[in-house]
Amino acid sequence: MSKVTATAKSSRKGAKRNTGNKAPSLTTWRFMLVLSSITLIFCGLGARAAFLQVYDSDDLTRRSDNRTIRTKSEDVERGMILDRNGIELAVSVPVQAIWADPKTIAKASKKANLPVELDKRWMALADVLHISRDQLFKRVTANPNKQFVYLKRQVEPAMASYVKNLKIPGVYQRKESKRYYPNGEISAHLVGFTNLDAQGIDGIEKLYNKQMVGTAGSRKIRKDAKGREIEVIEEVEPVAGQSLTLSIDQRIQAVAYKAVKSAVTSFNATSGSAVVVDIKTGEVLALVNSPSYNPNNRSGVQSHRFRNRAVTDVFEPGSILKPVAVISALEFGSFTADEEINTSPGYMRVGGKRVQDSRNYGKLDMRGILQHSSNVGITKLALSMPKEHLLDTFYNLGFGGDTGLGLIGESSGVFGDRRRWSKFELATLSFGYGLSVTTVQLARMYATLGNGGVALPLTILKQTTPVEGEQMISRQTSNTLLEMMESVLEKDGTGQKAAVPGYRISGKTGTSRIAVNGGYGSDYVGSFGGIGPVSDPRIAVVVLINDPAGDYFYGNDVAGPAFSTIMGNSLQMLNIPPDADNHHNSVIAARGGEND
Amino acid sequence: MVNNPAKRSIWFRLHIDGPLLVGLLILMSLGLAVLYSASGESTNQVFKHSVRLGIGFVAMFILAQIPPMTYRRWTPVFFLFGITLLIAVLVIGIQSKGAQRWLNLGVTRFQPSEVMKLALPMMMSWYLSQYHLPSRFKHIVIGAIIMAIPTLLIAKQPDLGTSILIASSGFFALFLSGMSWALLAFLAAMAPVAVYVMWTFFMHTYQKQRVLTFLDPETDPLGSGYHIIQSKIAIGSGGVQGKGWLQGTQSQLEFIPEPHTDFIFAVFSEEFGLLGVLGLLCIYIFIIARGMYISVKAQETYGKLLAGSITLTFFVYIFVNIGMVSGLLPVVGVPLPLVSYGGTSMVTLLAGFGVLMSISTHRRLLAQG
Repeated sequence: MSKVTATAKSSRKGAKRNTGNKAPSLTTWRFMLVLSSITLIFCGLGARAAFLQVYDSDDLTRRSDNRTIRTKSEDVERGMILDRNGIELAVSVPVQAIWADPKTIAKASKKANLPVELDKRWMALADVLHISRDQLFKRVTANPNKQFVYLKRQVEPAMASYVKNLKIPGVYQRKESKRYYPNGEISAHLVGFTNLDAQGIDGIEKLYNKQMVGTAGSRKIRKDAKGREIEVIEEVEPVAGQSLTLSIDQRIQAVAYKAVKSAVTSFNATSGSAVVVDIKTGEVLALVNSPSYNPNNRSGVQSHRFRNRAVTDVFEPGSILKPVAVISALEFGSFTADEEINTSPGYMRVGGKRVQDSRNYGKLDMRGILQHSSNVGITKLALSMPKEHLLDTFYNLGFGGDTGLGLIGESSGVFGDRRRWSKFELATLSFGYGLSVTTVQLARMYATLGNGGVALPLTILKQTTPVEGEQMISRQTSNTLLEMMESVLEKDGTGQKAAVPGYRISGKTGTSRIAVNGGYGSDYVGSFGGIGPVSDPRIAVVVLINDPAGDYFYGNDVAGPAFSTIMGNSLQMLNIPPDADNHHNSVIAARGGEND
Repeated sequence: MVNNPAKRSIWFRLHIDGPLLVGLLILMSLGLAVLYSASGESTNQVFKHSVRLGIGFVAMFILAQIPPMTYRRWTPVFFLFGITLLIAVLVIGIQSKGAQRWLNLGVTRFQPSEVMKLALPMMMSWYLSQYHLPSRFKHIVIGAIIMAIPTLLIAKQPDLGTSILIASSGFFALFLSGMSWALLAFLAAMAPVAVYVMWTFFMHTYQKQRVLTFLDPETDPLGSGYHIIQSKIAIGSGGVQGKGWLQGTQSQLEFIPEPHTDFIFAVFSEEFGLLGVLGLLCIYIFIIARGMYISVKAQETYGKLLAGSITLTFFVYIFVNIGMVSGLLPVVGVPLPLVSYGGTSMVTLLAGFGVLMSISTHRRLLAQG
């Protein structure tokens, strides 16, 4: 069949065959056909290349990069936290994380024909890491296909070098850092802490995590098939974490913590807080709570101990807030400072409810009302003006608002924006009930009073430039108040125990019942807030003792002594000269100085 | 370019085909540049390659001096010599990497299948040119037998790439001699049968594996599919413009196996992009077109068939290599002609071009005389 066709074909082309061997009879078109086919096939190859290089290019480029580009990161050390004088509150120390590669371990133990359980080195490892042997063995043998498992993190350098010397195949170390808090529980609430991955999860550590973490450096490199580094495509220089300088004065912080802790212990209180504020700058010099915890070893600490109560917990402040109504009355002008108000017979009825003093104080001027903390007197002042004015004064002094601190978990308290405050409610408001505040809010109010009525936002960071404040009450009113409140700490005052020898101090006690189930129980909050020295106010201190369980619960008794200690020590530490003339000699004598 | 009679006479006296020479020179310079990159900027390899190019050129030049008539006269002897060598390889050849392809000449190793790359097309042309064209069916069958002997001997080594090249050179001689379309159609219909027979009786496991891998490289990305995947990635990541000379990452970083030999096209594509690939293909087409032109213009059937066969075999090289590297064909060890590093095949190729030039220039001499 084929033969026939071939023959037929040859006969068809017979005409061109006559030149014989020396004159080829083949048609050029056969060659042309071949050449065109070749060109066509080449076009196909070109199209294939175009398909790969244009259509598939992105995907293939990505796959090429996947095979060659690696990014290595370079960790940077977390910034320190310092107090205003450069004392370290939080530092990072280099430690090692010990990890294992179960796959390598399985291979090695198979090769050496020595199961992990019988390997003395593994026993030594378990012992030095304080992990039970069984647990350790289980962890590395449970899944032999895994290539990474942590054995122990945050291992001290000495232990890590011991582990290194064991030379166990498949056990490796990775540098990491551990946060250490030299001041322990004193600043624990404020400073907070980090997790194992060096990320802040509480306190300042969390709040300013970003600044302190810095930017890990990274190197984007191209590797060859054998893992050698070929070129650096992109390099991000590591930016070291910034160190943070707090406004805290660690010395004052320590004194405050000690004072609060001892008050909480002595009076069997649930908790206590103290806040010290630099009146002229709004910087918080100390912020402490008790009970506290050891930030370097947090295992087993009850969760309530972690609470930074001075900013998170709110309470009805009681009499410590009485200055607000006095300020309001002075500013409105319904009473002058010296005008006498009759508080007899020691109680009065407001809106069908009774307001009572502990005894009949008779006629009192404003100073007297504050000195004796007369509820009747303050009620009369509060009701002597339109309620809007009174409420404005509360707002202006920062209640129901934020202090500017911005600490983790900070509350702005509860100050109901009620349209209709009844007369009785206004009366209770004037002696510190019907609203909830935090300790720092109180501290800010006292700082504003001390600063000539200029409210500054509180800050936890050391300030280098003066902060702009807002005049909330007149300088005259605030000066008048300071003078009046000095009497609280004097003889006959309710806050004598808060007095500081050698210094003129203004302040106010507070003793409030803790609200429970819509009423008030028999638990109290004792507080004291004050400013010193009166001649040139520098610091405001608020001490709060929550739920003292003993015989003493008055602010004067439970918070007064702590206030005195904190205020006195702070003034001395800040080198603020004593301003009380009558105490001058005794202070000098007490210091063992000259005696005339 | 050879219009000047004076110049023409110089080319003629040297028996050099100008256009072909220019095409080859461009290709080889390109090859050296890519080789420099693919070998990891090894001047040593580039030097070695240049030396072989030199040898190839000398061979080409010498072979161009011999008139086609002489080739024709000596063809049967040369062919028998080649067959003897191939048998010798199977008997006393050196084994390396599971294949027995080399003869030990004491000083160096020698691959007789390279001889056959020229000997077979010569023999086919010699045989077919004795009869009137187009060839009769009987001659085609005898031609096919002549062609089958070396092909099978080489396939037995085993060396699939070379046996494909040899078989195609013989087939092209048959085709150009006027094989009928009906027979062609019949052969095309027989192709599946041939594939089955090849697969079952002739192909080695590693060759089958290559084919299977080619069909779905992703099934074995770390094993035999690795080559194809890596080279496709290299080609594709070149994009339109390429990454630039010496800038290819896939190839430079040793992801591509044997980047300077069989897979050099991947390196080229990655560094010169689609534009470079199209340029390279143009150069190849130019050389092939010139070869076909020489074949068409040949006044003697022997020269015509030989020139066509050599040229078309050159094309098969390119097609198989680029097809393999770009994932269109299974991996077969065929170099990219005149670009890949690898001595013997390049010398053989240039020798083939020498024969082409001889056919080209002696034809003219005859015409003038």
